[in-house]
Amino acid sequence: MERIEFKNVVPQVFAHRGQHDSDIWQQEVCFERGRLYLVEADSGKGKSTFCSYVVGYRNDYTGTISFDSRDARELKVSDWVSLRQRHISCLFQELRLFPELTALENVEIKNKLTGHKTRREIEEWFDMLGISDKLHAKAGLMSFGQQQRVALIRSLVQPFDFLLADEPISHLDDTNSRIMGDIMMQEARRQGAGVIVTSIGKHIDLNYERTLRL
Amino acid sequence: MNLVWKLLRQHVSLPQFLGFFFANLFGMLIVLLGFQFYRDVLPVFVGGDTFMKSDYLIVSKHISTGTTLSGSSNVFTTDEIADLSSQRFARKVAWFTTADYRVDARMGINGQQVLSSEIFFESVPDDFVDVSLDEWQWTEGSRDVPIILPRTYLTMYNFGFARSRSLPKISEGLVGMIDFQLFIRGDQYKGRVIGFSSRLNTILVPQRFMEWTNSRYATGEASAPNRLVMEVSNPADDQITRYLDDRGYEVEDEKLNAEKTTYFLRMVVMLVMGIGLIISILSFYILMLSIYLLVQKNTSKLENLLLIGYSPSAVARPYQLLTLGLNLAVLLIAWTILYFIRAYYMDIIVTLFPDIDEGTMMPALLVGLALFALVTVVNQFAIHHKIMSIWNHKT
Repeated sequence: MERIEFKNVVPQVFAHRGQHDSDIWQQEVCFERGRLYLVEADSGKGKSTFCSYVVGYRNDYTGTISFDSRDARELKVSDWVSLRQRHISCLFQELRLFPELTALENVEIKNKLTGHKTRREIEEWFDMLGISDKLHAKAGLMSFGQQQRVALIRSLVQPFDFLLADEPISHLDDTNSRIMGDIMMQEARRQGAGVIVTSIGKHIDLNYERTLRL
Repeated sequence: MNLVWKLLRQHVSLPQFLGFFFANLFGMLIVLLGFQFYRDVLPVFVGGDTFMKSDYLIVSKHISTGTTLSGSSNVFTTDEIADLSSQRFARKVAWFTTADYRVDARMGINGQQVLSSEIFFESVPDDFVDVSLDEWQWTEGSRDVPIILPRTYLTMYNFGFARSRSLPKISEGLVGMIDFQLFIRGDQYKGRVIGFSSRLNTILVPQRFMEWTNSRYATGEASAPNRLVMEVSNPADDQITRYLDDRGYEVEDEKLNAEKTTYFLRMVVMLVMGIGLIISILSFYILMLSIYLLVQKNTSKLENLLLIGYSPSAVARPYQLLTLGLNLAVLLIAWTILYFIRAYYMDIIVTLFPDIDEGTMMPALLVGLALFALVTVVNQFAIHHKIMSIWNHKT
């Protein structure tokens, strides 16, 4: 997939607002593969809504979202499944980890779908992010910051054309944020993928090619 | 272990599934048993008699205390027979010829004597007897007499003598084992039992033998017939009943009895199967409720699995396999239990009716398979539907 386009998209909950002072809502925006975007917004501007639309979790909007000029509303269940498995990876703000599985199992449950990474590569990332001692700890017993790192690794163990990172570093210190940014960008570049990072202020220090305000 | 299963088996309630398992097993077993039993027992009632043609009626005059005391006769006069023959419904009318002499008989099985008594014979014209002429042939002077016995004799032997004296049970195929000696005025004849009839309550010999022995041994006059056999075009004809009632005739109506019995049997089986089905349906509801509850409790997990790229069918599969496994186990166990129950009752039925076709478990296998397929398909569909409602955020 080469591009994700937003045309006149307005979330139904914002429909009553009239004019939108936004770079995305009610605009024509195109996210291209291989490029790095930052979507900035204050709380309540629809940042998570934006991510939900892209991964097909919600479709309560007017306007058109299209993937390579294919309307998202026309996608079938199987299309969305293949999109989530191979084209768009998402690091959810609420992480969506399984608390009863261990950190490693949380990553494996995703990796098993595509067999994208080896066990060694995964363990290497755990090591780089400083949570190798937590491999076999239940995710539910880890701190939010640690869980954020596990969720990042999970989002990278699949082929993708776009990586959507919804507030990836909200609970991380600067060192870990930097390591996280490095790993993320390294994998994205290796796959030639586009990256869309959202933030409410604190954001990973990267060379964003375009910054959009919601 | 499969991670998805490890995740989704959370909240699986063992008591709920055990409840379903036993309820369904019970229901399934009742349905299968009812059906199988019906199929196994039905031939007992509808099985044709091999020795008498089908559309016949045996007619006699009503015997009451009055007739016995007054000594009035219950024999048919020539006029009465002629009148009956002239009726439209009567295709052919004949009478039972009785032996007008004394007969002593000895019956033995495998050399062991089981019966020694004075008996009586009857005969009907050969064309009412439906066996090959070769077997039913008697030529003048021959000491070898073909005989048809009432089936009650066989039952009596199998349940009475055979059990208490540990003699072999005999079935119709083994009639050769029966040794039947007849003594008429010092002359000895060898009875060759060629079969048993459940529709005739008499010992039947060929007409020619009867006529010959009557002329040779009978002392008095030939007795008048007191039982008629009549072939009719339609046994259900109203006219027959009216005609017979008007004249105070009675019909040995075994056919009707069999029909009544079959009717009640069918009704009882339907009732039992109905109860079984209701139990099955209720157990099916337990299963569906358990699964729905399980899915409901695991909604966020299922939603997360879908969001990280699992397809609805992949997410539904563990639950579908769970129900499939449960249903399959129920089916197999029901079949096994049924096998033993059937073995038990077939043993009794076969002893009572040695010639009955033992049949197979095919009816139960097919019904079980159909029930299993139906329940499983509906389960699979319902689970998939439930998962899709999570996909669409309808829960």
